[in-house]
Amino acid sequence: MGLMAASKAFFKLLFNKELSESFQQLVDGRLQPKLESKPAKPVRKSEPKPKRSDAISLLSALQREARFLDIVSESLGDYSDAQVGAAARDVLRDSGKVIERMFSLRPLTEVEDGASIETPSNFDPAEYRLTGNVSGDGPFSGNVAHHGWKATKCDVPQWSGNKKTEMIVAPIEVEIA
Amino acid sequence: MASKYVIGIDLGTTNSVLAYSELGESLDIKLLKIPQLVAENTIEAHDSLPSFSYLGTTAETENGTLNLPWAEERDFATGTLARSRGADFPERTVGAAKSWLCHNKVDRRAAILPWNAPSEVSKISPVTAAQQYLEHLVSAWESEFPTTPIREQQVVLTVPASFDPVARELTREAALAAGIPSDFVLLEEPQSAIYAWLAQQGDQWRKKLKVGQSVLICDIGGGTTDLTLISVDEEDGELVLRRVAVGDHLLVGGDNMDLATAHSVSQKFAEKGTKLNPWQSVSLWHSCRAAKEALLSVDGPATHSVSVLGRGSKLIGGTITVEVDKSEIASALLDGFFPACGIDDRPQRQPASGFQEIGLPYESDPGITRHIAAFVNAHCSHDSGEVKLPNHVLFNGGVFKATEFQDRLLQVMSDWNPNDHSCQRLDGTHDLDFSVARGACNYGWSKATGGIRIRGGVAKSYYVGIETAGLAIPGAPRPLKALCVVPFGMEEGTQADVPSSEIGLVVGQPVSFRFFESNTRKEDAPGFVLDHWTEEELDETDPLQATLTLENSEETFVPVKFDSRITELGIFELWCVGVNSQGQWKLEFNVREE
Repeated sequence: MGLMAASKAFFKLLFNKELSESFQQLVDGRLQPKLESKPAKPVRKSEPKPKRSDAISLLSALQREARFLDIVSESLGDYSDAQVGAAARDVLRDSGKVIERMFSLRPLTEVEDGASIETPSNFDPAEYRLTGNVSGDGPFSGNVAHHGWKATKCDVPQWSGNKKTEMIVAPIEVEIA
Repeated sequence: MASKYVIGIDLGTTNSVLAYSELGESLDIKLLKIPQLVAENTIEAHDSLPSFSYLGTTAETENGTLNLPWAEERDFATGTLARSRGADFPERTVGAAKSWLCHNKVDRRAAILPWNAPSEVSKISPVTAAQQYLEHLVSAWESEFPTTPIREQQVVLTVPASFDPVARELTREAALAAGIPSDFVLLEEPQSAIYAWLAQQGDQWRKKLKVGQSVLICDIGGGTTDLTLISVDEEDGELVLRRVAVGDHLLVGGDNMDLATAHSVSQKFAEKGTKLNPWQSVSLWHSCRAAKEALLSVDGPATHSVSVLGRGSKLIGGTITVEVDKSEIASALLDGFFPACGIDDRPQRQPASGFQEIGLPYESDPGITRHIAAFVNAHCSHDSGEVKLPNHVLFNGGVFKATEFQDRLLQVMSDWNPNDHSCQRLDGTHDLDFSVARGACNYGWSKATGGIRIRGGVAKSYYVGIETAGLAIPGAPRPLKALCVVPFGMEEGTQADVPSSEIGLVVGQPVSFRFFESNTRKEDAPGFVLDHWTEEELDETDPLQATLTLENSEETFVPVKFDSRITELGIFELWCVGVNSQGQWKLEFNVREE
């Protein structure tokens, strides 16, 4: 013990504060083996990671956070409207949060439903869908029946699993007694 | 090398956030998107990193389940996954590490968390947990900005105003270990909230705050409540902000409220004959937070339904719903946490139960208004017996999304002095979730570019305990005196010689001093000696110690005096300086369990 105390004092003298502290912690058996003392630099892995379809990652997130797959997979005929409504309220709220976070959906036009709008001539049919009496190239004017949607970003989670689990949307949950 | 960015980091009890701005002509604060595990092998970038650590199993490490883009073979996870694992594996999940950092009954460098974890879990220390969260933020930064590493940037890290010097020192230790540059600055969180308000106001703030006014900052986080009082003064014709006082560290926050709601709602489920399993209890907790925010907002609905979804894949059939009335929630939360009280009411101190001794020292009185009453009464001026209320209240923390809490708090305060109508919500946007990180960023930017700074120095006065000389009575400790070493308001970057009689220290053996702090004794100068004090006046924290060494000397005894310093970075240091010899020795806090 005398030797231990002596060596502790020696190190305290010899080294700077941090070193002597770690030493003392080692002596006391308190120092935990550290995984990484400094944050590692971003590593580029040589072998390519299996890439999972974003669609599976999206489904997985909707199930994980909102139980979306459970509700759409269930037979609605067995339940009353009130029962469906009670469950749907939470699922819809949480699904909406997931979709907003990943896609930030915004209406494609600021014009409100029912108000009049004019299309450019030679518009892209992906942007406008016209119904009713349409002839020629436009421009057309009419009333907005639906404002449309656009995603302002697409931040689907990255996935880093292996080939075997690529198609798994939700794991088996087991409660250990 | 000149820094390109200023970075503000809010290391929160439940969430951590990093905000940054280029150090240019104008301030443009952005939040760093932090990639983190949200499920096994699944990474998503969020604005905040939940301050939780999950200590993985061997199988998880071997399968790479917890890996991050910048880290392979990880055996732990921080962030969203760790928080959600808290429900299923509490014995492998570390939470509230920051509250443990200032808990001076345990050794904060020892691997003690998760508290009461079984032996197969390799525990970590509160300092290591804080280091893990900061490392995660640093790595997220370096992945996003690989050409401007964090060690070359200006970093501001926030701590609760009520953190004692030891907790600040330990935070610093964790930050340096995480790779944050050693010249980073510590800033108090409530001040940060004001800086965020200032950033958002631009030059308008001079119109909204008048000389002689005061601002109370009420910061209620997930686990803690922090109070600060700021006054608006005039200096050379310019408005200046001065931090006048900070409150005690209160371990009561939003999580307590959500748990209280969940508890009262779970009784309703029990009445329906439903016993909730742990998974459902956590889901109930989240639903109750949503219910609280909906019901307690201005013009909120009178009832809100709270459902717990069925556990298995038969979701709809297993779902149970109860209706929660606004009045029930209001009485449970408003009266429980923001009770009406008089200015002379004080927090009720209940005898500590055995339960409290094993875990964190949670407040025995969750009545936040009573804590505020004690704070306002002690630090606001009085005019013919009536207290002068703060003119403005700045709210911070997600709790205040339930806006009725804001209204209730203002109402209770107005009743303390019915003739004083000045107590109002500080005009402008109160960014409840991100203002601490944003404010830290604005502070760093103002420091670099010469913008407005809040004056104040140290928020407390500090004392060391000196045993009085005299006849030793066997079995009785010698009477203790407290010597003031740091006066209230001592500025950063200054030092103070402490006049005292010479104190003889033994060479070669550890010497230890008991250490005290006070947030009410504002007049004591360095060298002032207290013979006796009450528990409310002086609060004992961890002892300071050092081992004195003298080279080429036969002396066994050195007479010394104290010399205290507050560094530019806001760190307290106490030195023993030899009176006859050249030596000086720095005292270090001893944070080990006694």
